[in-house]
Amino acid sequence: MVASDPRVTVVTGGGSGIGRATAIRLARRGDVLCLCDVSATGLKETAALVESERGRVLTGIVDVRNQGQVRAWIAEILERFDKIDCLFSNAGVNARSTVAEMTLAQWSLLIDTHVTGTFNFCQAVLRSMVERRTGAIVITSSDFAVVGVPNAANYCAAKTALYSLTKSLALEFAPYAIRVNAIGPGPIDTPLLRAGRTPEEYENARRAFESRLPIKRLGQPEEVAAVVDFLLSERAGFMTGQLVQPNGGQVIW
Amino acid sequence: MGAAQANEHGGRVAVITGGSGGIGATMAERLRDCGAVVHGLDVQPSKSPGVYFHRVDVGDEANVDAAFDAIDKSAGRIDYLVCCAAIYRPASFLKLSPEDWDETLRINLTGYFLCCRAALRLMRPQKFGRIVLFSSMVARTGGGNCAHYAASKGGVLGLARSLAIESAAENIRVNVVSPVITDTPMPRAVLSDEEMESRKSRIPLGRIGSTGDMADACLFLLSNDSSYVLGQDFRVNGGSALW
Repeated sequence: MVASDPRVTVVTGGGSGIGRATAIRLARRGDVLCLCDVSATGLKETAALVESERGRVLTGIVDVRNQGQVRAWIAEILERFDKIDCLFSNAGVNARSTVAEMTLAQWSLLIDTHVTGTFNFCQAVLRSMVERRTGAIVITSSDFAVVGVPNAANYCAAKTALYSLTKSLALEFAPYAIRVNAIGPGPIDTPLLRAGRTPEEYENARRAFESRLPIKRLGQPEEVAAVVDFLLSERAGFMTGQLVQPNGGQVIW
Repeated sequence: MGAAQANEHGGRVAVITGGSGGIGATMAERLRDCGAVVHGLDVQPSKSPGVYFHRVDVGDEANVDAAFDAIDKSAGRIDYLVCCAAIYRPASFLKLSPEDWDETLRINLTGYFLCCRAALRLMRPQKFGRIVLFSSMVARTGGGNCAHYAASKGGVLGLARSLAIESAAENIRVNVVSPVITDTPMPRAVLSDEEMESRKSRIPLGRIGSTGDMADACLFLLSNDSSYVLGQDFRVNGGSALW
């Protein structure tokens, strides 16, 4: 059923993985989807999938690190739809390395994409949400906001920063009835899990995850999308500032 | 029965402890309206039509086992267990009697253990189960006049996490909901209207939680939409504690 005044939802990193699965799920519930990514191919594929669900979709090639690009695209959305109800700030990258061998470029890529990218998007959408005294934001953090892992200091630092950002945003914008929550996915079968790993390394990692996880399997992007859908909805109307972890039991504290 | 909707909860057999009042009653009615077969365990009779009432002291082993046996005989399975049964008798620490300490732990923590154990005996062979245990924000924050209550609710977190790990491979998911002060008879029995109102100002979203808020989170954790969520604590607290 499509509402007469559908929600307008922005999804960053909509070209693959969790962003794509969430876009498709939200399209099924009637949202207008505004999807951005740096991958034109991925974005086109997701847009086609959303349209096959009879969803309305607007796409933009946006580098989330670039504040000018982000502001221009949000302005375009507001011009076209007059409001933004929800933001799913999800764009992410990975560049694995030991700290000893990590280049500044590898460090900055993760901090800028995850942390500054989310700051850019939140700032851009919150202005209009504050005016309307309503809105919901979900930020993709990670289990690694809570625990450390080797070869991923940049990823862990970025994801922990996102959890902190979530909590501060939640408190700052609660008086405007705007809710901000984070998700902390565990190992999810997405292109990002494969990034920086050879096929053999990926298989080894997958087996290691599966034997270690209480649930004994990797998660699927659709299982994370269901959590994002919940947190953006009124069903989570009394939850804000929380980290919700669809993680198969990987981290339970 | 209420208007049963065609959904994943239709026909599921649910046991709700503390099902006659507060959050438990709302949860029982919500599941009943989804078409589930709902059994409420409580010391007070249920006022919810269509909910099967069992008079049970959840801290009494024989009492609990007998109730679950009866449910097994009539329904043949248990799919969902929601534990809400709890007592709250505020007392400053130096005036806290060993009797109140013991009774709080007996109902709030041992009661959860006994009901989880009885439910898992049925859930394990059927390779399906969803369990939601209600803890409290004070498990993390602590609070005045509630050392016994906070200890019992902290114990619930440890119980839930251990059960989640032990049961995950058998398609049984265990999670927690931790409410902040919720508009139910329990806090209203010990707080004046003014005190309830002043609590509101400490909650960033600017209102007291409702039983519906808690039921929404609980229903999500019982549903297939939370298939990759286990051992987690959903802190439904309006932003009042972010840890």
